[in-house]
Amino acid sequence: MGGDAASQPERNARLADLLARTALADQRAFAELYQLTSSHLYAVALRILRQSASAEEVLQESFVSVWNHAGSYAAARSQPLTWLTSIVRNRCLDQLRRREVDTVTIDEEDEGVMLRDDGPTPMEMLVSGADARAVKACVDALEARQKQAVALAFYRGLSHAELAAHLHEPLGTVKSWVRRGLERLKACLDAVGVER
Amino acid sequence: MDYRVPDRADTLAAHYVLGTLPSRARSRFAKLAAADPVLGKAVRAWEERLLPFAESIPPVAPPPQVWARIVARLQRPPPVQAASTIWANMGLWRGLALAGFATAVALAIVLMTPPVERPGQSLVAVLAGPDAKPALIATADRGGRTLSIKPIAPVTVAADNALELWALPEGGKPRSLGLISPSGVVRVTLPQRADAALARVPALAVTLEPAGGSATGVATGPVLFSGPIQRLY
Repeated sequence: MGGDAASQPERNARLADLLARTALADQRAFAELYQLTSSHLYAVALRILRQSASAEEVLQESFVSVWNHAGSYAAARSQPLTWLTSIVRNRCLDQLRRREVDTVTIDEEDEGVMLRDDGPTPMEMLVSGADARAVKACVDALEARQKQAVALAFYRGLSHAELAAHLHEPLGTVKSWVRRGLERLKACLDAVGVER
Repeated sequence: MDYRVPDRADTLAAHYVLGTLPSRARSRFAKLAAADPVLGKAVRAWEERLLPFAESIPPVAPPPQVWARIVARLQRPPPVQAASTIWANMGLWRGLALAGFATAVALAIVLMTPPVERPGQSLVAVLAGPDAKPALIATADRGGRTLSIKPIAPVTVAADNALELWALPEGGKPRSLGLISPSGVVRVTLPQRADAALARVPALAVTLEPAGGSATGVATGPVLFSGPIQRLY
């Protein structure tokens, strides 16, 4: 959903309102919620699943779940878009991790429909995402390889094993980049204040 | 592994949200986090830290059929609000998988009926005919002595016939619980608390009997409906 920083509290309030009305089975509010968030959420799913059919299915199931569980939104005490993103991402990751129980490779040639994408790379998105949240310093503070490992895991859903294969590094090394990257990110984001 | 050691909990939550936990660890952790407030809080904190980074992904409009499919799904019975997550953890749906999907739908309908009738710790049985279509629902509070039977599909019975409800105890003879109505809710009084009265009774059945019910205390007519008892506690 992007958008400039000034409009974000307004947008969040709007989404929270739509979720509240969705919980009361207001189909128009639900339709507007879909209209405002589906492109963003679909893009999240596409990046992780890399197949449009699976991404569509996850989006569909996620919104059906939102319809059924919008009432539990308040309890989660998250930003509305964060809550919605978590629903979509969790479904994607569940599916992806289950797939890997059978196959361990992540061969770029093998990814079917979904692009060796033309869009921004995970690294670029991590940086621009941080910039939009005014927490660029936190991402800049990561070592390049920590940044890369975290970005690939986050935007493309790579597992530790896939990261190791992709970056041509031992598993243990990659794991520690991820762990340290997350630790450092946490310390910095918490110091800055996580709210956007 | 003790997931409650704060550092470990936080590390696991971070990996869960980032997505790097392997399949089994992931689903195990998700279950724990749903039940444990400490883990749940750690997960939400990590979601607030990481998920906003997803906003820099260039949006892609989904194809229109996605919305069409969502709308088609919503035209099914309205959702079971909030309660559904609690029910999901009670082995209910697992049990119902055996009883079939139609039964699950029927039970969902029961759960959506007015809150007074929504069981707390309760026993529920969906009774279906040979065509597997649910026809009656029986519910009782675990500690109560009333078993309520409600028809959820039209049931026709000739005037000189009656419907009789039976408990089918494990390895024992069917025990009559009384007559029920094909149209309205009937409340049958049990001899003990429901959990005791139906303790070793895996299923209920309804037979077609002469008006006034079986005179001998033994079922004489055909079994019209039957279904397993689900114990929600």
